[in-house]
Amino acid sequence: MRKMPSVETEVLIIGGGVLGAATARELSKYKVDVTVVEKNTDVGWGITKANVGVVCQGRDTLEFRPEYHRSQLLWKSIPVMGPLCKELDVPFKNIGCHIMIRNLKQKEKLDKGAARTESLGLGTDKYCSYPELKEMEPYVSEEIVGSLYDHAIAIVHPVVYTQALMENATANGINLMLETEVTDIQAGHPMFTVQTDQGEIKARYIINAAGEWVDKIAAMVGADDFVLFPIKGYVGVLDRKCGDMASSLLALFPEEPGDMNIIVPTVEGNLLFGIQLQINRRHDRSTTEHMAAKALENARKIIPDISPKDVIKSFCGYLMFRNFEIGWHECEVAMSERAERFINMTIGYPGVSASPGAAMEVVDILKNDGLKLEPNPKFKPRRKGIPDFSELSDKQRQELIKKDPRYGHVVCRCETVTEGEIVEAIKRGATTLDGVKFRVRPGTGRCQGGFCGPRVTRILARELGIPETEITKKGGDSEHLEYKTKQILEEGEKDG
Amino acid sequence: MARQVDVAVIGAGPAGLAAAIAAKEYGAEKVLIIERAEQLGGLLPQCIHNGFGLLYFDEDMTGPEYEKTFIDKAADLGIEAQLETMVIDLDSKKEITAVSSKHGYMKFKPGAVVLAMGCREKARGALGIPGYRPAGILTAGTCQRYVNIEGYIPGDRYVILGSGDIGMIMARRLTLEGAKVQAVVEIMPWAGGLIRNEVQCLYDFGIPLLLEHTVTFIHGEEKIDGVTVSKVDADRHPIEGTERFYPCDCLLLSAGLIPENELSIKAGVELDGVTGGPVVDQNRQTSVPGLFAGGNVVQVHDLVDWVSWESELAGRAAARYADKGRLKAANMVKVVPGNNIKYVAPQFISGKEDVTLHMRVTEPGLKATVKVGDVMRKRYRTVRPSEMVIIEVKADKLKEAGLGEELVVDCDIKGSG
Repeated sequence: MRKMPSVETEVLIIGGGVLGAATARELSKYKVDVTVVEKNTDVGWGITKANVGVVCQGRDTLEFRPEYHRSQLLWKSIPVMGPLCKELDVPFKNIGCHIMIRNLKQKEKLDKGAARTESLGLGTDKYCSYPELKEMEPYVSEEIVGSLYDHAIAIVHPVVYTQALMENATANGINLMLETEVTDIQAGHPMFTVQTDQGEIKARYIINAAGEWVDKIAAMVGADDFVLFPIKGYVGVLDRKCGDMASSLLALFPEEPGDMNIIVPTVEGNLLFGIQLQINRRHDRSTTEHMAAKALENARKIIPDISPKDVIKSFCGYLMFRNFEIGWHECEVAMSERAERFINMTIGYPGVSASPGAAMEVVDILKNDGLKLEPNPKFKPRRKGIPDFSELSDKQRQELIKKDPRYGHVVCRCETVTEGEIVEAIKRGATTLDGVKFRVRPGTGRCQGGFCGPRVTRILARELGIPETEITKKGGDSEHLEYKTKQILEEGEKDG
Repeated sequence: MARQVDVAVIGAGPAGLAAAIAAKEYGAEKVLIIERAEQLGGLLPQCIHNGFGLLYFDEDMTGPEYEKTFIDKAADLGIEAQLETMVIDLDSKKEITAVSSKHGYMKFKPGAVVLAMGCREKARGALGIPGYRPAGILTAGTCQRYVNIEGYIPGDRYVILGSGDIGMIMARRLTLEGAKVQAVVEIMPWAGGLIRNEVQCLYDFGIPLLLEHTVTFIHGEEKIDGVTVSKVDADRHPIEGTERFYPCDCLLLSAGLIPENELSIKAGVELDGVTGGPVVDQNRQTSVPGLFAGGNVVQVHDLVDWVSWESELAGRAAARYADKGRLKAANMVKVVPGNNIKYVAPQFISGKEDVTLHMRVTEPGLKATVKVGDVMRKRYRTVRPSEMVIIEVKADKLKEAGLGEELVVDCDIKGSG
């Protein structure tokens, strides 16, 4: 196992998910020594990965009451998010959202919500009759009566956004340590001593952005004065050919509180459909036949033309809510009252949308605690994304191939991903099949890597200078080629 | 500037090669094959087992041997092939957009096009298997490529879901490599592939074929460590209480092939909902004039010999079309699948020429009679969905029967089995 020499840092961020990355990037604007530890092989692979990427606008006034801390974080983030994505060259797309009702009884509640939004000065949402809705979204079911349209809702790829934040943070001097899991923390003055499976880290401040395990990390210093309440979600992915069945986020008005039935376009042009499940057992990301059937049934309540044949993949993830005294969820982005210099970060919903505001808040907390944060004169806010061959014009494609012929070699047919993009993803830190996949998408299409899998494996091995048998799907023990041919037979002979 | 060619063939597998050769031999001067992979032959280079060419050459050949005869012939005829070139667009005016590292961004304006993209395997998502998403799940064909081309073996303990031909062939191949194949699990009451593979690849090696079973859960977070297999009822739903855990480090999927028609869709070609391939006439012309199709892109064949045969029809017709700018119009008769027939290809025939009909039955049975309208009938001792039924119908019989607008094909069975 890799062991490192002892590390000392001013600020240690535990967790390379969306909150850790946003905070790292925000802190990279200042002259301060920051280290991020992430237990996975790559960033954004915890609960961030299963986020559907909706950038919400806080107009749902039941979810976002003004007195809620998360509402404040979200409102702080809304004006920042679009420009931030632009700086980081991350696709950010305004799609709008229809909250759809199936009977007129629901309309009363919908109207009430809309009035509340307006009275709070959050703007006016438009009610669409069924014909108006149908004009905008021709595939919606005839059983829908009407919808409330919020034009401001946007989407972003949560993992790509997280990667971009972290890439920019490291370019600005943040130290990122992957495959480093925190096992214990001792409080001390003036430094914490943090034990990891790679060695010891001394840190003056700790920012606990450990996502799914934020309570476990907090407990190491007795700062776990909150209970996490995980809510599992199921997401199905539809083939690209269904991409035009919805252009905005389509959500069914919840029949009961906590119901969530949505169809969401992705920035890549697929549709996702998802439901929330009444399952709160943590860390079980498995799917079941029952949830798949339920999710499909619900998706077809929105768009009846969706066929089971068009589902190309499915997965589960969690939202981690803080279950506070009044019984429902509120977030925690604060200095712990029980441990000095220890900041907990857990938002639950909407983690991705509120991440810029949460990061800014952490900077304020650090400043208020007396940490000197002088501007980093070398800070460069811009990051250039990996060129997306499939989205370029003919002329841009020609120029790109001329510059680097590897952009003329299409490796993934379904998503039109070139060797040039794959090599660039590896240069930026992808070391695994999933690492490449989450950066430039080979294997996310309808054949799910059937054609490109062996080719991406070969490119990874070549670029990293390691044998193909050491290439993994997602780090750890996830090797996908265990032996060379004849090796099993030869080993069998040796063993007698 | 778009480059002019007479016939462009998309795909250099057995279908594309046969189509290109036929087009050239039927007078097309400039024939161009465009292939995404590094070499000619499609999937045949990785099919190192025998059983190819029994019909076409009357000889038992391996995949690479079968393919070499076509590759050599194409070379002798001076057919141009562009490798590592991906067609990224095809429109209804037959204009092709392709890219490669070597030639960059290209446009072609062919007189006629043959679609020969073959088929792909159903992936896990399409099968909807519940459970975790670990490493160690791959399609049988991808595994075949790793083992026979790349020189790697994914694991040493397997479960194979689906009894398609590639899955059964890989069961044998992996056993010969010293790996343990614990079971081939098939949801249907019959095997998905050919009887000869069931016998030669499973039975001869003592590999159990679990009919009416399916994988109901995938275990393992990083690497697969096993699957739950359950028996299914008549509606193919898992029966509670029949679950059995099989430890494994690899799950292979061989549960169906899907014609690869993304380009056909872009060009506006009408597809058959059952075959997943284009609706074609007996010349293998699609609904878009000048676009022809042959091989597994039209219908998933059992034998490569028929892929070559069908693609030659497409190639010849494409050459004629490229020469004249159209094909002689004929009143077309629609071939309709009737009782116990899943599909028939081609979907349209002229009714005036000899024609060979390819079809699959829906249910297996004994003592079957296939009736091609009132034109002819043919008896079979057994029929089963995995074995294609192929009937040649002579022109004089068609003329004699005097066809209307439709020709219904039925299959009556006397016994089940």
